[in-house]
Amino acid sequence: MKVEINGKMLNANEGETILELAKRNDINIPSLCHKKGFDGLGRCRMCLVEIKEGHRTKLVSSCVYPVKDELKVQTHTDEIIKIRKDIVMLMYLKSPKNKYVQKLAEEYEIMIPEKYVQKISDDCILCGLCVEACRELGTSAISMVNRGTGKKVSTPYDDESKDCIGCGSCAEVCPTNAITMTENENTRTIWNRTFELVSCEICGKNYTTLETLKYSENLLGQKIECICDECKKKITAATFKESFKNIY
Amino acid sequence: MSSQRQILVCCGTGCLANNSYEVYLKFKDLISNKEIQIKPIIKPTGCNGLCEKGPVVKILPDNISYFKVKAEDVEEIIEETIVKGKIIDRLLYFDTNTKNKITDHKNATFYKNQHKIAIRNIGEIDPSKIEDYIERDGYAALKKVLFTMKPEEVLEQVDKSNLRGRGGGGFPTGLKWKTCAKYNHYPKYVICNGDEGDPGAFMDRSIMEGDPNTVIEGMIICAYAIGANQGYLYIRDEYELARKNMQIAINSAREYGYLGKNILGRGLNFDLEIVRGGGAFVCGESSALMASIQGKVGEPRAKYIRSVERGLWDQPTILNNVETWANIPPIISYGPDWFKEIGIKNNFGTKVFSLVGKVKNTGLVEVPMGSSLRSLVFEIGGGVIKDKKFKAVQTGGPSGGCIPKEHLDISLDFDSLNEIGSMMGSGGVIVMDENTCMVEVARYYMEFLSEESCGKCTTCREGIKLMLDILTNITKGNGKEEDLDLLLGICDTVEKGSLCGLGQTAPNPVRTTIKFFRDEYLEHINNHKCPAGVCKNLTSYQINSEACIGCGICKKKCPVDAITGENKKLHVIHQDICITCGECYENCPTNAIEIGGGIFES
Repeated sequence: MKVEINGKMLNANEGETILELAKRNDINIPSLCHKKGFDGLGRCRMCLVEIKEGHRTKLVSSCVYPVKDELKVQTHTDEIIKIRKDIVMLMYLKSPKNKYVQKLAEEYEIMIPEKYVQKISDDCILCGLCVEACRELGTSAISMVNRGTGKKVSTPYDDESKDCIGCGSCAEVCPTNAITMTENENTRTIWNRTFELVSCEICGKNYTTLETLKYSENLLGQKIECICDECKKKITAATFKESFKNIY
Repeated sequence: MSSQRQILVCCGTGCLANNSYEVYLKFKDLISNKEIQIKPIIKPTGCNGLCEKGPVVKILPDNISYFKVKAEDVEEIIEETIVKGKIIDRLLYFDTNTKNKITDHKNATFYKNQHKIAIRNIGEIDPSKIEDYIERDGYAALKKVLFTMKPEEVLEQVDKSNLRGRGGGGFPTGLKWKTCAKYNHYPKYVICNGDEGDPGAFMDRSIMEGDPNTVIEGMIICAYAIGANQGYLYIRDEYELARKNMQIAINSAREYGYLGKNILGRGLNFDLEIVRGGGAFVCGESSALMASIQGKVGEPRAKYIRSVERGLWDQPTILNNVETWANIPPIISYGPDWFKEIGIKNNFGTKVFSLVGKVKNTGLVEVPMGSSLRSLVFEIGGGVIKDKKFKAVQTGGPSGGCIPKEHLDISLDFDSLNEIGSMMGSGGVIVMDENTCMVEVARYYMEFLSEESCGKCTTCREGIKLMLDILTNITKGNGKEEDLDLLLGICDTVEKGSLCGLGQTAPNPVRTTIKFFRDEYLEHINNHKCPAGVCKNLTSYQINSEACIGCGICKKKCPVDAITGENKKLHVIHQDICITCGECYENCPTNAIEIGGGIFES
């Protein structure tokens, strides 16, 4: 399948989105709510591109638009650049104190209408990556709740979550550090719930929660050794080194 | 039609709120205890449209209609009209256009100019009795389809009629069905969108309450045409009576063999289920509605792959609005050529509007497409209340635009309304008079939409919020002229950058009010004056010394004693006490109270 992006002819795969195709070919389309491995969400609207099918042009979100043969795409028209700037400006009005958003505003050289900047800065830009991460890697313990300006990410009724396993995937993917995850000596607190931490059998460092470990064991149907990622890497590297020794 | 006398008591939601059920029960009670040779049949019906004058009681075949009937009037109606055949003048309808009292409501200007297709049975039948529907040719279209037509022929007929979806988008129904029929991917689903959420709109509610069987019949015909076995009626939770009547109709249709397995022995299996909507406006958007049926968060999805291919549970799905479904049986029965004789090119048939706001006759009306807005407001609607000056009409719900008097002759059809920056929407028509502030109107709708946007897209969620903040600022007297440019710039981004119809049309009220009423915005911004006297910060009242006759009515009406003056002498409003409630302005017999600008600065 042939797709043209910014005048360049590219080979596209069936089922791939415009954004995936562009990324594969080092064409930059900005996006805030897209992460490799997740389905496109179409939330942030930064990845809007102009497509031409026949004689008609329209704006579509490239993270969810499936490629079609002979599709023509423009990623940086004046119209699109103006919309992206407005989106960043709108995010800044909501999250003026967030470093990530501040950096974006600088990068896009945004003129800020000062009197409409929100007094209370909200770190969350509602990109939805945490909800996706929880669905893919965790237990769907968090979700988008409410609507309109009251929309937020939370557990059911903002209560301590029964389903959360404290894996921290949500906090890990969050681009704006909006999810508070605090750790003490032996505990981790996230989404109003405190979890007991498990330490690595080798280095002794706390690395995951008991609930995450149990959840993974349940999924795999077998016991898992309590070894942290770093130590696992070290062991793999050592095994590698050993096996190469015999070859040379 | 039976020749036995019938007493039809309107029990639509509007009339029920005015105790029409009591009227109905009183009729039942008195008639059963009274010795009359041939007892009349008493029926509760759906909405007659003229809700403002309810409860409505119709007596057939005499064709006498009584309005604003109270339980106390029932005995007199039986004694005088039913027994003696006399008309009770007091209860007749007063036509504000012709200034006449009217015996048969069908002769009133309000009804005369209407053409009823979708609401043809409402007010004429008892919605809980499927027999009433059948007596008026109900399910005849279904029989015609099942016994004499192939699915392709049904698709052809609907396509030929050029019926366009009445939910707002105006997408050709026939094309939608034909495309869905092409996919050989089963199961397929049929959905009725009954999540009417526009403020002031009640077209769909009235149809579901007053004639539920026509919706069901339309859906079964579609199921046959596209090959679906299951359908859903998504009805908003607030519509209790609609849900109740719909459920009764579904049960009766099953008993009659119109729903269920092997319908009328013709091999079609199709059944319906009601799904209660949770009350989110955005769930009226088709993909959000489907998400909601599936138990997911009610957010729209990008419809680059259309619902006809992958809709509910990723299966081919046809979703139509209540009014669209109600149009199907007549189109099948009388044929597409009949349908195309009504309305205008590309916009055939009729449209139901809920006419509300500052208009004399508020209610439900169905007129041919292409009728003028002027005839809707000034003939059927009877003009503006208290004969005040007409200012604008807002059509199409919260994302519709405001149409000023210069464009009153606009044709009511999908294309003309879009062209002017408004839209048909589901058919809400709100009339505004000279005392409506257009900046406040825009602000009100942005407030509504900021709460009702699903909040998925940054442009819609934050863009509408910014528009609301700017408009609130203007109505408080803190606006600057450059705010209008910022506002229009954001309108553009929200429209182009949002995923679903809600965001894409949300800027309409702002754009049209700035386009047609820019002067009013500038009065707010530059002169700190709200010409309509609505924005409290920008309003003050003064008494014109020449017009004041010193009658003292304003002084009496003032709730905070801000007005002083001796009898027959000029009265004065003390601005430091005045709370600008407008009581004096509304009640002055000589219109001596004038609206001035805000005085908050001095």
